[in-house]
Amino acid sequence: MYASRKYLAIAWILVLPALIIRVFTTIYPIIETFRISLYEVKLLQGIREFVGFDNFIQLFQDSKVITSMGFTVIFVVGSMIGHIVLGIALALILNMKFAGQKILRTIVLLPWAMPMVVIAMASKWAFNNDYGLINDFVRWFNPDFNLDWLIHTNTARFAVIAVDLWKDLPFFAILVLAGLQFISAEMYEAAKIDGAGPIRSFISITLPMLSRNILVLSIFFTMWRITSFDIVYAMTSGGPGESTALIAYRVTTEAFTNLNTGYAASIAVVLFLVMALLSWLSMSAAKRVDY
Amino acid sequence: MTNQNPRPLTLTLFMWGLALIVAFLILFPLWWIFISSITPSGELFSTPIKYWPDHPTLASYRYLIENVGLLPKIWDTAIIVGLSILIGMVVSVMAAFSFARFRTRGLALAIGFLLASMLIPDVVTARPLYDFLRSVHLYDTYTGLIILYISGILPFTILILQNYLNDVPVSIEESAAIDGCGFFQSLIYVTVPLLRPALATVCIVNFITCLNNFFTPLFYSNGISVLSTAITQLPLRDNMYAVPWDLVSAMGWIIILPIILFVAIFQRQIMEGIMAGGVKG
Repeated sequence: MYASRKYLAIAWILVLPALIIRVFTTIYPIIETFRISLYEVKLLQGIREFVGFDNFIQLFQDSKVITSMGFTVIFVVGSMIGHIVLGIALALILNMKFAGQKILRTIVLLPWAMPMVVIAMASKWAFNNDYGLINDFVRWFNPDFNLDWLIHTNTARFAVIAVDLWKDLPFFAILVLAGLQFISAEMYEAAKIDGAGPIRSFISITLPMLSRNILVLSIFFTMWRITSFDIVYAMTSGGPGESTALIAYRVTTEAFTNLNTGYAASIAVVLFLVMALLSWLSMSAAKRVDY
Repeated sequence: MTNQNPRPLTLTLFMWGLALIVAFLILFPLWWIFISSITPSGELFSTPIKYWPDHPTLASYRYLIENVGLLPKIWDTAIIVGLSILIGMVVSVMAAFSFARFRTRGLALAIGFLLASMLIPDVVTARPLYDFLRSVHLYDTYTGLIILYISGILPFTILILQNYLNDVPVSIEESAAIDGCGFFQSLIYVTVPLLRPALATVCIVNFITCLNNFFTPLFYSNGISVLSTAITQLPLRDNMYAVPWDLVSAMGWIIILPIILFVAIFQRQIMEGIMAGGVKG
């Protein structure tokens, strides 16, 4: 019915507001990012000079940027392993048929619904040696425990990953749960008749049936982790030293605190290209996985 | 179900045990934040932690209202989140309708563009966007913030609404046209009411997305202060940790409490929204 020419104009008028908003808030600024990554910009002195790929050469020799990239890899890989292993476990728990199922699912939605910044601010105090929740909890079991988590590199990094898991693991599990519900009960019954126990049917039915779902989820969750910002901004401010400065935090520090906008743009470009490459690779991998 | 074996008691206990561990890990920290918010700031420096204060007080909340300007911040947040959801919804319905009903190569390209733009992270565009907003005088304005909030929820909302519209038969609109209904009349009085369940779902998910947005108000506003950024800007206490934990916990709880109620009320719709989109905005 909508084939006539008159309607084509209406169609474009209807999509126009959405397109205009997205063009000005994403496309235009990313083109600008690519462009100014080739300039040296010093806002305070009013310098703006074309330097070609100098920023890119510099960033791969900048120890702060390298530390940030290193921690971002650790953060993403560590957090994703936790998400996948614990996420499947939590999804199975949420799938249990028992009287508390509905209320448990409601509770599990809570961390997802809360702002990361609130959780991260609370974590800053929770990981405090003397008065924090975490050590108080550990001291129920080991009264002599003492550790100031956020002032040592390794424990601070661990704490950041743990908080990230607390916040987003439930969300991951709910999405795995959605996949679980597509597996028909008949398959499990057939397996039971063939003599398979619960562990056997988990390995031979559940995991293979979920693999595609989990792979696709992991792509999205990996992308969100790569650009995580709120958590370290509020929880550690990148410290101790630069050891928990995720790459997104490094970009905004260069852009808004150090006012090296050209340099910040070059880091952002590398970040974007890595993400584009990763999502392209994993999307084509996801297409091939067919159970 | 007489032929089914009764479930062994150990299995039931095992399930409840697992459920309690999960519930404890999630709820206990929230309880601790609440307790901290009603504990006098002096009592916060105690080991072991008291999970019920000796002298519960609302002093931190009063301080937030009297000295930090809590009420105007709540007002700012409500205006920005409310208008963003509302206007975002109108813009999304228009676009989703167009994408679902008109199939031309140009529009297919436009959808592809909208989806591809989802892959552009906030942080990559932050500085140029900041400079752009300054140059058009939208930095630190309600209009600027609302446009950015809307931009954040558009792709997800359009995607969900379009999927839903694909399943709504065109024949309903055709019969409306035969009955003499004009194009926009039919869109407003026939199509939009049919979309109601999908609209409710995206509304709820978008509410959470907007309320939790931190990056946008942090970098694109200064004087206008929403709750998510305000919690990072509380006046520092002169303790050795420089964390005003009494105020942070009170502010945190003010943000958390409505979310808990909201999730409890809309649990079913939220689950549906999450599962339909699998995307967090």
